[in-house]
Amino acid sequence: MVLDRRRLPSLGRGLLLAGLVIYLLLPIAAVLLYAFSTRWTSHLLPDGYTASHWLQALADPRLVAVMLRTLGLALLVTLLDILLIVPAIYWQWIYNPRIRPHLELTAAIPFVLPYVVIAFGILSLSGQFLPAVQGTVGLLALSHGVVAFPFFYWAVDNAMAAADVALLNEVAKTCGASPWRSLVQVILPNISVGIATGSMLVFAVSFNEFALVQILVGARYETVSLYSLDLLTGTNADFNKLAVITMFTFVVVFTLSALSVYLNRGQGQTRRLMIGSRSKA
Amino acid sequence: MPLPQGPQSIHYRLQQWLVNWLPALPMLMLAYGLLVAPVLALLVQSLQGQEGDFTLANWLGVLTSRSDRRAIVTSLMLGAVSATTALGVGSPIAWWVSRLMPAPRSIWLSMLNTASNFSGIGLAFGFVAILGNYGMITLAFRDLGLPFAPPAPNTFWGLVLAYNYTNIPLFILLTIPGMAMLRQDWWEAAQTCGATQIRFWRAIGGPILAPFLGAGWLLVFTWSMGLYGIPFALAGNGATRKVSLITLEIGDSLQASLSGQGEAAVLAVVLLMIAVISLLTYRWMLGRAAQWF
Repeated sequence: MVLDRRRLPSLGRGLLLAGLVIYLLLPIAAVLLYAFSTRWTSHLLPDGYTASHWLQALADPRLVAVMLRTLGLALLVTLLDILLIVPAIYWQWIYNPRIRPHLELTAAIPFVLPYVVIAFGILSLSGQFLPAVQGTVGLLALSHGVVAFPFFYWAVDNAMAAADVALLNEVAKTCGASPWRSLVQVILPNISVGIATGSMLVFAVSFNEFALVQILVGARYETVSLYSLDLLTGTNADFNKLAVITMFTFVVVFTLSALSVYLNRGQGQTRRLMIGSRSKA
Repeated sequence: MPLPQGPQSIHYRLQQWLVNWLPALPMLMLAYGLLVAPVLALLVQSLQGQEGDFTLANWLGVLTSRSDRRAIVTSLMLGAVSATTALGVGSPIAWWVSRLMPAPRSIWLSMLNTASNFSGIGLAFGFVAILGNYGMITLAFRDLGLPFAPPAPNTFWGLVLAYNYTNIPLFILLTIPGMAMLRQDWWEAAQTCGATQIRFWRAIGGPILAPFLGAGWLLVFTWSMGLYGIPFALAGNGATRKVSLITLEIGDSLQASLSGQGEAAVLAVVLLMIAVISLLTYRWMLGRAAQWF
């Protein structure tokens, strides 16, 4: 008897796994059917099938604008996080370890605190001190940047620990490289998987996010989340169009998730026991 | 006259300080400005009256209001039920996935990763599409003439189902590293000492995994309590709403007006306190978990 096999009775295990797969696939399957159905009000499956929702969706200027806005915001937030966080973590590893407690404290906040509370806090603080920035896309982008920050931070921090950046940097310095040159030419190539993984998480957070968008800007910057809500619960709800958008979102999420699993394959020995724990470095 | 250049000069110390902190400064300013300061602002706001005076009226108002109390209790229940079902379903599957060979494990990890990232309004629609009035499962039940209906998405159990779509995969992904560290040698060593399987799990496997499972439960509990998009899309508005939650109450009062936000700030601080307690307990549990590795 080994630990690797037969821990669960095989019938029970089969049922449990099959149940989970069905549970995870059913909502997606239903959305997919909605995206291709003509009328679907009476039976398990739609009455008929059509591709017209897809053609209509692609020709709808509001929907195209919503998509572009959401993608643009997510890209901006991702770029922002890369530019702001990588130097901070790098400096913490090679020069000033006192940066770490600040990063760990602030990363813990969006990790456990609901986004709706953070959004409320930002709204109320900006109302008191900087009314001019209220409702701007800039504030939304920065807010997305900070709530997505822990995921990026942990991915890159792990990568830096695994690559032993302090040592790499020491070697680069001995060869006469400046800190900047050592970051660009030595460190970055060694932590690229961490940056890619972190970036994909940031992108996914911003792409799907609802609370901050709704509370901080609302209809002034309609994203996929806001438009989806309107199509789901608004006065002229349109499930078929919503299904097309949701399938699109799902494909984005699926691609990012599969890619990040692929990039991190073979990393059996995780340095952290669980996310958010202190690193074991 | 040249500036004094000794180690004591202000100029030198400022320069040193900049060298120490500059690369991290933009991020730290942003993080303190958009995460720490807003939280402090809410704390202050929850203790402030209309004229900015100190008062406990907001707190008393929330604690004596039936609807607020119901929202708090329902949120806690929803978090606890979601986390407990995620624990029950997730732990055996996490164990199984952690023992798989790399190739099939990647497939499972991709699927779980996708599900754990598929959240928000899109996921809410997925559940309307299966459990709503014209949802796939609802129609199937009706078609077959079954005498009962599946839970509607705007009920407590409907929300549990929608929440756990992301919660179960998250729980599995969170606990796999812990499971993977339970080593084959330990079972063999226990066996050599004459332990049975049950005894191994009671005396070794269980105690080692318990902090991991507890920490996973705690995170799912905390995250579920904080969800906003999914219940906002599913639970309905105003009089049609059947389930009231802390996050929905906060959202409502932000949509409504600026007055009366003191009580919303109290609800936000309640969520904050729960988050802080969870985080401290989580860290403590992982500290216990780490002692074996």
